[in-house]
Amino acid sequence: MMASQARSEDREINDVDTLIQRFEHLGYVTDRGLATAVYLVTKLQKPLLIEGHAGVGKTEVAKVLAAMLQTRLIRLQCYEGLDVNSAVYEWNYQKQLLAIKIEEKTDQTVEEKEKHIFGKEFLLERPLLQSILADDASPVLLIDEIDRADDAFEAFLLELLSDFQITVPELGTIKAKYVPYVILTSNRTRELSDALRRRCFYHWIDYPSFEKEMKIVRARLPVIEEELEVQVVRFVHAVRQLDLTKPPGVTETLDCAQAAMSLGKHRLDVKLVEETLGCVAKSQEDVAKLKAAGIEKMLS
Amino acid sequence: MVGMHEEEPERSAASIVAFCRFARDNGLSIGVQQTLNAVEVAKTIGVGDRQELAFALRAVLTSSKEEWDRFTDLFEIFWSTSQRFSNPASEEGPEVRSRTHHPQASSRALLALSSNEASSSDREGNDVSGASAEQRLQKVDLSDVPHDDLAALERISFRLFRKMSLRLSRKRQIKNLADRVDIRRTIHRSIPRGGDAIDLVFRGKKLRKHRLVIFLDVSGSMNSYSLFLVRFAYALQKYFKSVNTFLFSTNVVEITDVLRNQDLPEALRKLSQRAAGWAGGTKIGESLKVFNQRHGRKLLSRNTVFIILSDGWDTGAPDALAAELGAIRRRAQKLIWLNPLLGLDDYAPITRGMSAALPYLSVFAAAHNLQSLLALERYL
Repeated sequence: MMASQARSEDREINDVDTLIQRFEHLGYVTDRGLATAVYLVTKLQKPLLIEGHAGVGKTEVAKVLAAMLQTRLIRLQCYEGLDVNSAVYEWNYQKQLLAIKIEEKTDQTVEEKEKHIFGKEFLLERPLLQSILADDASPVLLIDEIDRADDAFEAFLLELLSDFQITVPELGTIKAKYVPYVILTSNRTRELSDALRRRCFYHWIDYPSFEKEMKIVRARLPVIEEELEVQVVRFVHAVRQLDLTKPPGVTETLDCAQAAMSLGKHRLDVKLVEETLGCVAKSQEDVAKLKAAGIEKMLS
Repeated sequence: MVGMHEEEPERSAASIVAFCRFARDNGLSIGVQQTLNAVEVAKTIGVGDRQELAFALRAVLTSSKEEWDRFTDLFEIFWSTSQRFSNPASEEGPEVRSRTHHPQASSRALLALSSNEASSSDREGNDVSGASAEQRLQKVDLSDVPHDDLAALERISFRLFRKMSLRLSRKRQIKNLADRVDIRRTIHRSIPRGGDAIDLVFRGKKLRKHRLVIFLDVSGSMNSYSLFLVRFAYALQKYFKSVNTFLFSTNVVEITDVLRNQDLPEALRKLSQRAAGWAGGTKIGESLKVFNQRHGRKLLSRNTVFIILSDGWDTGAPDALAAELGAIRRRAQKLIWLNPLLGLDDYAPITRGMSAALPYLSVFAAAHNLQSLLALERYL
């Protein structure tokens, strides 16, 4: 019950509209669907799984949520081969070895020595353990690109996400005092297990509509000129229609706009787009496809 | 919002439960826990704002993009008529039902096969036809198995495929050698020896399971062959990290979830419903394009083995086929094409489609009888 008590302080957010406003205030333009899902996370303490194309602002959700709740953001970037040692905890081996050497001359028993070197001072806390150990308020735990981690790690997460407790064999079971808000993101490079999906709320972020993307650009780059903005967003939308291997996300739109601005241009033209093509097309094939489709046509 | 506004809490909880059941009947994977969550969420959000309720229920009840895409329709169908509201489970919306038409000609064989399997599975081993018959059946062309032998062949194939799957996984385990020192365990073991690492503990190499994607031609002539490869896929599921199976003729349908069923006869029965309404011609190139667009990014990687089973009679453009195969070849580990016609003595791969495809294949092999399917083990 302690957890819910402490939570009520930092939570003046009592409906979805407030949440949308707060998010927008922090520079994240969201729609009602996503806002509802995030609202439920803050209310019901269940993890949220966000899927979507690259660069549509999945990771950003967690960052903004942490900023809104004025709490810590703990991030775990997943990769293939990620194991419990680098995600949960690890012992500080060097320090342990030194301690053993120092204690060699003392007349402690082996049991005492073992107890000492497996004490908390030798424990390196990795993100998941950190999120459980938080002692002032619920942190936001971002588990980024969970699809890159392997099945074994996913299975481990199941336990964590349902009980919010971690067992360290040498220390015993540690239970979260403040249950973290958990956001998982996935790019769908691998199908996640049903068991994991079932434990989470789910949200799919699609590419934004023209109006929404305009709003996003304006929120992130307030100094942009209207004409350039319209052009950039329209251009990126046209590029998304092409059949590229890596379609540009919102990140690419912002890159493209920023590139034009830092080159001191006030409008997009064919030459400028060609020079900054790397902002939207990320492979040789895509560049070729873009050029074949006719940049001039897409700008008009 | 029809009928939901002035409901008492229990009544609205009941309708949420009814909706969950409706959505489950229409293919969303919703368990008891999800239903409970949905009720809780509805309580938190309130049922006054229909749009918001839809968003909230969507977050709770869906768990993949596919379900996500279907949800809005299901929600609309369920709550668009108050009549359904009063008796939701009794009938399905017309849009949803069209998916499960009665099976048509091409899938009838599937149905027949599944019933065979069902009736014969309980008397397994009693009427086995003996070793010589088994030898004979292994070599018989799958397209002209005498009807009487079908059940026997079924059984044999199932057993052999299973054995093969087991053999493959053993091969993997032996390869699984140690390579790096595990500092953590080494230190733990050094404590009783005063901190000197005498016993080194090694970390084993990670077993890396492969992914199999099977692309089955189900156009008319291929039907009897395809069915055995479906079994083949089913048996291999244990060995591979995942097996994704697709049927195609002029259209592509994924049947992976059906094959995940523990009970094979039941799986085949479901499949016969899914495979309904297949048209005559084959457009391999276009089908592969659809695959690449929808699933390529997700399923193709350096540990993917991609198997196409088709006779190569393609009515599409050879260039398109070559381009798509090239795209797959670049991303997958192996691209295998099994052609039942290769079992014929006088066959040469000279159809336009087939000759365009050849440069991209890592393996081009026959698949006309059980033996040739079992020989696949070499390439996996």
